[in-house]
Amino acid sequence: MTSVPLVSVFSADDSSKVTAKHIPLPAVFQTPIRPDIVSFVHTNIAKNRRQAHAVNPQAGMQHSAESWGTGRAVARIPRVSGSGTHRSGQAAFGNQCRKGRMSLPIKVWRRWHRRVNIKQKRHAAATAVAATGIVPLVLARGHRISQVPQIPLVVEDKIESYEKTTDALNFLKRFGAFEDVQKVVSTKVVRAGISKQRGKKYRVRKGPLVVYFNENAKLLKAFRNVPGVEVVNVTRLNLLQLAPGGQLGRFVIWTQSAFAHLDKLFGTYRYSSIIKDGYQLLRPLITNPDLARIINSNQVQEKVQPAKTTKVLHEVQKKNPLKNTKAMDRLNPYAKKQRAAAAAAIKANTKGTKKIKKNKALKKASRAAYNKVAASLNDATKAAVQEEQDIKVKYFSVQKGAAQTE
Amino acid sequence: MSQQVLWEVVKGNNAFLVKRNGLTLSTDPFNNTGVQTYSSTGFISKNAVGVVSTSGKVNQINNINLVTKKSTKFQQADRKTKNTQSVYASTLAVKHGVHTASRVIRKRFGTSRVGLQRAALRKLVKLNRANAVRRRNELAAAKAQKK
Repeated sequence: MTSVPLVSVFSADDSSKVTAKHIPLPAVFQTPIRPDIVSFVHTNIAKNRRQAHAVNPQAGMQHSAESWGTGRAVARIPRVSGSGTHRSGQAAFGNQCRKGRMSLPIKVWRRWHRRVNIKQKRHAAATAVAATGIVPLVLARGHRISQVPQIPLVVEDKIESYEKTTDALNFLKRFGAFEDVQKVVSTKVVRAGISKQRGKKYRVRKGPLVVYFNENAKLLKAFRNVPGVEVVNVTRLNLLQLAPGGQLGRFVIWTQSAFAHLDKLFGTYRYSSIIKDGYQLLRPLITNPDLARIINSNQVQEKVQPAKTTKVLHEVQKKNPLKNTKAMDRLNPYAKKQRAAAAAAIKANTKGTKKIKKNKALKKASRAAYNKVAASLNDATKAAVQEEQDIKVKYFSVQKGAAQTE
Repeated sequence: MSQQVLWEVVKGNNAFLVKRNGLTLSTDPFNNTGVQTYSSTGFISKNAVGVVSTSGKVNQINNINLVTKKSTKFQQADRKTKNTQSVYASTLAVKHGVHTASRVIRKRFGTSRVGLQRAALRKLVKLNRANAVRRRNELAAAKAQKK
């Protein structure tokens, strides 16, 4: 980044007033966004608040049950000894049995906590801080920031001396953060499940996170009772608060001194951190992740071949060029000339044409002669047939006459 | 912030994501198609116009607002026009017809992103038509009441 982005610090009393116009953004906010690191670190660190619990080791085992062995027409599971009660002879001990102990009973020495490499934890925190400065991520997390004047929101240190909750509330209202608080209030729900009997009656959303610097700050008490709002010191930034649920983009309100302290805390790309010993901010794999911009840049476009037009290779219905002259001409522009030349050659061969004409004439004449002969033959046969008919008629009539006379 | 990077963070889970009946939908105000896809998800892009229906005030004939995305690089909301400007968007009320609104949309997208432009215009037209029906009913009701 050649040009450092600048941020304004707002006056605590009046959100339209800016006390410090252009403060350079701490380098943390330019850390590459690494949801994979945050997700990994979060899933592990979230396990660290767990309290050990276990099942009673004797549960389900307080019987002198013994298997009856084979030959008794029952399953070989251990059965409760004794008599005089329903329980006697019932199956015991197994995880599948009623009133039996569970399989692999939970032990207190289960590994409840996870350690994560310090560097990974620091990278995750840095990414989470960076994400709080990116508006789409804060929107995606679900915070209502349409009235907030600036993201990241930096306010003068005066709010650190707030003691009254009313002051805190008015401050939030002035800076458009109250909409987020209202969201928290309106979505407070009784928790489903047994936890409500175990001290976790409500499910409450996360609202704004207020980050301060001075240890003597009283604002903790002022903001404590505002639903959804959390207060934390810069030196103790917590990934579980910066990216609740592993989701980047918490809405954070910084005080001026807290904001200024971030450079010392995380270091910059010029010097490593002063406080986190030897920690250097993560460098991006790609300094400019805007692929669209890279592709459309002059440097790339100069070297790149012109875009291929989506050309249709052939018509929807394929035409056979051997039969379709136009299709042939499309493929072979010389074919037209070839055809013309062939036709001219045929025409030029005048001998050939005369012969054809002569043959035609001969054919015609022969056909005419044949027809003539055929016609005369026809007549002859017709005459013959007629003659036969007459004779027949004559003969039969004579016969009839003869019959008559007899 | 690069749209590609933001998409990788946001595509799995975000406040606007709605998964129902095997569909992946979005309630993002900058999304005019309703389906969550990389190009249609406007809140992660630098340049987007959302066509949003609002419960309108009396003066506003159309209950449509155009929400145009601003560059969110550390810009401040304009405090003077508090209701129409925020850190990430400026809102334009569509007052009379769809002409000015469609011009805004066309200017925003220009010759590129024709698909997005069409989606926005389509939504604008549909909302406008719906509003026409509503207004007609309201007028009829008002007339009936007067009688």
